[in-house]
Amino acid sequence: MKNKHSKWLAMPFTVWATIFIIIPLFMILYYGFVNGEGTFTWENILAIGEPEHLKALGISIVLSLIATVICLVLAYPLAMILSRLGINQNSFIVLIFILPMWMNFLLRTLAWQTLLEKTGVINSILSFLHLPALNIINTPYAIVLGMVYNFLPFMVLPIYNAIIKLDKDVINAARDLGANGAQTFTKVIFPLTLPGVISGITMVFIPALTTFVISNLLGGGKILLIGNVIEQEFTQASNWNLGSGLSTVMMLFIVISMILSSIFDKDGEGGMF
Amino acid sequence: MKKFIERFYVAIIFVFLYAPIVTLMVLSFNQSKTRSKWGGFTTEWYSALFKNDAIMQALYNTLFIAIASSVVATIIGTITCIALYNMKSRTRNAMLAVNNIPMLNADIVTGISLMLLFISFGMRFGMETILLAHITFNIPYVILNVMPKFKQLNPNTYEAALDLGASPIYAFFKVILPEIMPGILSGFLMAFTMSLDDFIITHFTKGAGVDTLSTKIYSEVRKGIKPEMYALSTIIFLTVFVLLLIVNVAPAQKEKRMALEREAAKNGIIKKSLFKPRTKKWMNRIVAVILTIALIIGSVQLYKKSGGTNQVVVYNWGEYIDPIVLEMFTEETGIEVIYDEYETNEVMYPKVASGATQYDIVCPSDYMIQKMLENDMLAEIDFDNIPNIKHIDENYMIQSREFDPENKYSVPYCVGTVGILYNKTMVEEPIDSWDVLWDERYKDNILMQDSVRDAFMVSLKRLGYSMNSTNPDELEEAKEDLIAQKPLTQAYVVDQVRDKMIGNEAAIGVIYSGEAIYTQMENPDLEYVIPKEGTNVWIDSWCILKDAPNKENAEAFINFLCRPDIALINFEYITYTTPNVEGRALIEDEAIRNSEIAFPDLSKYENLETFRYLGEDADRMYNNLWKEVKSE
Repeated sequence: MKNKHSKWLAMPFTVWATIFIIIPLFMILYYGFVNGEGTFTWENILAIGEPEHLKALGISIVLSLIATVICLVLAYPLAMILSRLGINQNSFIVLIFILPMWMNFLLRTLAWQTLLEKTGVINSILSFLHLPALNIINTPYAIVLGMVYNFLPFMVLPIYNAIIKLDKDVINAARDLGANGAQTFTKVIFPLTLPGVISGITMVFIPALTTFVISNLLGGGKILLIGNVIEQEFTQASNWNLGSGLSTVMMLFIVISMILSSIFDKDGEGGMF
Repeated sequence: MKKFIERFYVAIIFVFLYAPIVTLMVLSFNQSKTRSKWGGFTTEWYSALFKNDAIMQALYNTLFIAIASSVVATIIGTITCIALYNMKSRTRNAMLAVNNIPMLNADIVTGISLMLLFISFGMRFGMETILLAHITFNIPYVILNVMPKFKQLNPNTYEAALDLGASPIYAFFKVILPEIMPGILSGFLMAFTMSLDDFIITHFTKGAGVDTLSTKIYSEVRKGIKPEMYALSTIIFLTVFVLLLIVNVAPAQKEKRMALEREAAKNGIIKKSLFKPRTKKWMNRIVAVILTIALIIGSVQLYKKSGGTNQVVVYNWGEYIDPIVLEMFTEETGIEVIYDEYETNEVMYPKVASGATQYDIVCPSDYMIQKMLENDMLAEIDFDNIPNIKHIDENYMIQSREFDPENKYSVPYCVGTVGILYNKTMVEEPIDSWDVLWDERYKDNILMQDSVRDAFMVSLKRLGYSMNSTNPDELEEAKEDLIAQKPLTQAYVVDQVRDKMIGNEAAIGVIYSGEAIYTQMENPDLEYVIPKEGTNVWIDSWCILKDAPNKENAEAFINFLCRPDIALINFEYITYTTPNVEGRALIEDEAIRNSEIAFPDLSKYENLETFRYLGEDADRMYNNLWKEVKSE
């Protein structure tokens, strides 16, 4: 559907994005590059180098990477199993993953507290069965669990969507040509579903990187993530300049994800289009 | 065997996804208002829910915003994907990067930047601004879901359609659209869900009196989320679930029967099929009609402006007034109350300061009142219009001078102390000092306050310094102590102290006195004490904003709240100490009227202080030190 007029179709988004994404972005950049008196400074940007901020950023990256990997490992086989249930059930499967999110995020996260606490539901069940208690509340494990719980649907859906679009003939052809199960998967199925995987990774990693509610409620506020720092600067400290500066630095991750997806795109352009 | 493992795996994932949902459903039948204690089975929250107009209105707003914003976002997102698909990969990647910005930016950054944008456009804050904001953060989810489908498209089918004489538009609808439909659908659903769930961005872009379920839930956090919310979530969830089953299971069965019939027809048993494959289209039409009706009603709602000029716009803490009081006020004075809620001083301040919404009257805490005074945001109150001020305890008027030196700008509404709540069965001796928070024996059993000033107050008081100290050496010392304390603390929490202490999750917690009375009612093992080193006496007071359009109405409102019978109604609802002496005298329950926790004799304690605003530099110093503690 190459069509020279289709360019115009980008207009609504371009206009919308300019007004509601780019202009506000420049407002944030402005705050990020001035101090309280309104004079130019690099201070707020370089503040990322301060030990507390670097540490918070490091922990955030590590925890969200772990959560992303767990989501991917859980989601891929799940999507494959679900895809075999038959094409008619598409919307049903999408909804079944999204439905839990229709209970408010805060309520769901609080419910995890009720489940995980020392005297919580899971531990009551475990002690009733004479099993050792599960003590992960207020630790990084609980934060990762919270991230996986909240963002898993974002990984399952794009992968599921990619898998059900797979041409069965391609898989059969691979088999006919002598590929075993593992080879079919690594050489055919996985590469063909890569766009879904990439968008899944983006949709999990990026929101996980800036979350602060999960670390407050499930991590007991004992682990400072970069999201917590930014949130604290805006709300508790009323220091919009530093908050904006750190947010600006976080935009680097958009650039990185952009570079990553363009690398994978290059792969794709040969076989996919 | 393989099938079994697969089923087992799917089952485990679903248990994981739905465990919290089931928990919330169970809690909606819980007699007790706290999530950590089972108080017996009840359905009262369900009946209370339907009587609660505010929640019903919020539900309506939420659905309207979610539907409208995700429909618009889906349309824009999908046509954008068509354009992106045809672009050079460099342009495409640049646009996708822009698209990712709203997802990556912390919500609060997006929220505040959109607020600033709307202010610079001179827009009226209300439903429209929320809609614009929601469409903005919904588009990325649509694009991220639809784009992969485009990448998987086989361009030849579209070319083939064109070769066979289809117009580009016809070919799009007949060839491309069915292929990308699953992506559009999941994009729409995800957009809908994100809109349903958003809080921070909505908060900063909404106008007074426009509430969504999320903003309602968050405003309840400080005083404890009411089980009505669990009940409502349960109803929404079950409704959607049942609809889902009907829509999906019914056609599947019909198809089966149709297949059988076709088979039968082939064999000549039945001549004509009784079922026509109409179900899906029929369903689609119903959905379309419902959506359209909802949007039309919503648009009408959108432009229904609050007509009356005789009004007062109130901005108060969540759950900080008995709703009946607002009705009584309107009935007696004819003044309409537009009511809006916030959940921390710091979230209130930028909204008021930006002038995004023209409020008349707010209820900040002590240090925030001083900050607003210093920034010239408050109006002098005409006390001739507030004769009921005479009912307010003189002690609290004197204490107020810490932040309002001449008692000209504020009228105390709720007051209290900060102290230690401990579980008598879990500590070895009665507690009277902040030192216990550093006691190794209670490792992992201590709950600290997760806010800068409150945490430093504890440490500074323990060291014998002022909690308003700006002396770097004193603060450094206090910081070192807080770092030393960190391994002993179970968690840094704000409102969760209440539920965790009731549920016997910890032995000791730092808590506001107003919550202590409630926690004791739920768990009699709990005891509250004001430590001997002194503590914070906090005061939340009514203040009128500088350019309040309805200043006299605001004064009438304050005067009304200072009436003893009204103060009593509010005390019974909020359970926070009222400074209203006459109101206190009206309390029937003698135990509460004379409660040392609710009404402490402040003269008995030493070193009581009230927070002052210390200026930007000191604020920054505190925040940096707190970050050092938290990142340790």
